Amino acid sequence: MMDYGDIAVCTPVTVAYARRSEHGAAWWLGSALRKLLEASGLAKRQVDGLCLSSFTLPPDGPAPFVQYVGLSPRFLEYLPTGGACGVMALRRAARAVQCGDADVVACIAGDTNGDTTFHDLVAQFSSFSRDCVWPYGAGGPNESFALLTDHAMRRTGATRADFGKLCVAQRQWAQRNPLALLRSELTLEAYLAARPVASPLHLFDCVMPCAGADGFLVMHRDRAMALSLPHARILATIERHNAYPDDPIQWRGGWAMDADTLWQQAAIGPDAIDVLQTYDDYPVISMLQFEDMGFCAKDAGAEFIRSNAFGPGGNRPHNTGGGQLSGGQAGAAGGFLGMVEAIRQLTGQAGERYVPGARHALVSGFGMINYDRGLCTAAAVLAA
Amino acid sequence: MNPMQRMAAHARQSGVALQHCTACSHVQYPPRELCVACLADQLEWRIAPSEAGVLLATSLLHHSHADEFRDALPLRVGVVQLDAGPSVICFLDANCVVATRVRITARNDAEGRAVLSAAPV
Repeated sequence: MMDYGDIAVCTPVTVAYARRSEHGAAWWLGSALRKLLEASGLAKRQVDGLCLSSFTLPPDGPAPFVQYVGLSPRFLEYLPTGGACGVMALRRAARAVQCGDADVVACIAGDTNGDTTFHDLVAQFSSFSRDCVWPYGAGGPNESFALLTDHAMRRTGATRADFGKLCVAQRQWAQRNPLALLRSELTLEAYLAARPVASPLHLFDCVMPCAGADGFLVMHRDRAMALSLPHARILATIERHNAYPDDPIQWRGGWAMDADTLWQQAAIGPDAIDVLQTYDDYPVISMLQFEDMGFCAKDAGAEFIRSNAFGPGGNRPHNTGGGQLSGGQAGAAGGFLGMVEAIRQLTGQAGERYVPGARHALVSGFGMINYDRGLCTAAAVLAA
Repeated sequence: MNPMQRMAAHARQSGVALQHCTACSHVQYPPRELCVACLADQLEWRIAPSEAGVLLATSLLHHSHADEFRDALPLRVGVVQLDAGPSVICFLDANCVVATRVRITARNDAEGRAVLSAAPV
């Protein structure tokens, strides 16, 4: 596979998340674009590529959005793939720049969250989900992930306390991140005592829907250096959709199909990863990523959680911005959260949560729980 | 009538209706207009009073996004792998045990939708 040569990933920005918003999605996405311009010193006309992700932008799509914000890009991608959209945007932007289809690609994801936004999204998420999940109690993603969690607990022996350990560590990171929405102390006792939502999931296993936007820029390294922008490099990426469709229940994700390719291309292994950003809409999905990307053997996820420390000062810094579980899930921006945090860690912009000497980061995504499983998986290895 | 409406109509009259492909014999769920395996559109309904399978996972729902379910909470739901092939999300009888065999039946809910329920064999 062609490598990513001299491509630079830079300028991580976040439009501070809010529990509720009366703004439209275009305000959130456009504000992220403004922050990208402010942070890079680029003029709007110099951004000639755009990768966009949002659930709440409709009825507008990517073309109405570029008119809304006055961009005239010569490269435009729309990635309605939820949690996988950050890595997917990175891959497409990097190839567009390499091939000369664009010079500077702004990658932006965001969503608003009004009083009924989340309900409306869940009720009409897809035809399969509307017809074959919603009529069974309308539990939304909590219901689907509860079933996957129940199965994973039986498969691995993972306990609620194991998942709680991940959640507590992420809250400790969030307390060092002014952008995280949930920053009050979370103890394992409080995690275990929380009310049930959809057993075996309880309150702190579930992300809080919110409004927000994140973004980053992709350009040639020479351009980033000329602009004095600290940047990360791309060592490897993978992407897979609808992996293992014959599995009767999702016990592995597409990462398992492609992890060997990822590490081969990166020319490093999981042990060389200094900061690990998994997609954490529910902690069980982080455990699946540990297994499927080779941080431990399949079925050894629970033991991996027990034998590693994931919080500040730990041997395996994980979701160092607090993740979605403590940061909030701003719709499609949830697919960007790990990416902007990885770029911050690798470029010395992570403030008091900086992992000293962080050189390699893994960012992985998981998107679109449809009917009974998540369909989109992706991952990227970045280097300082 | 779309495939889901047809399944609901069959539930009203005869039982569990699953699509099977006359070209490649694949059985599929959720219903759709093409065969997921061979993409042929020659699908027929295989209708039975019930379908057997194995319960793979369960959840007890304590929260719902829809008013219609709030009085019925908590609701027990699960994933059943049918002997016929596909997995289905369904309501569960209180006595269903994971990794044991169950039997699925179909009915129409208050909205007229086809819904599946499992009970121990």
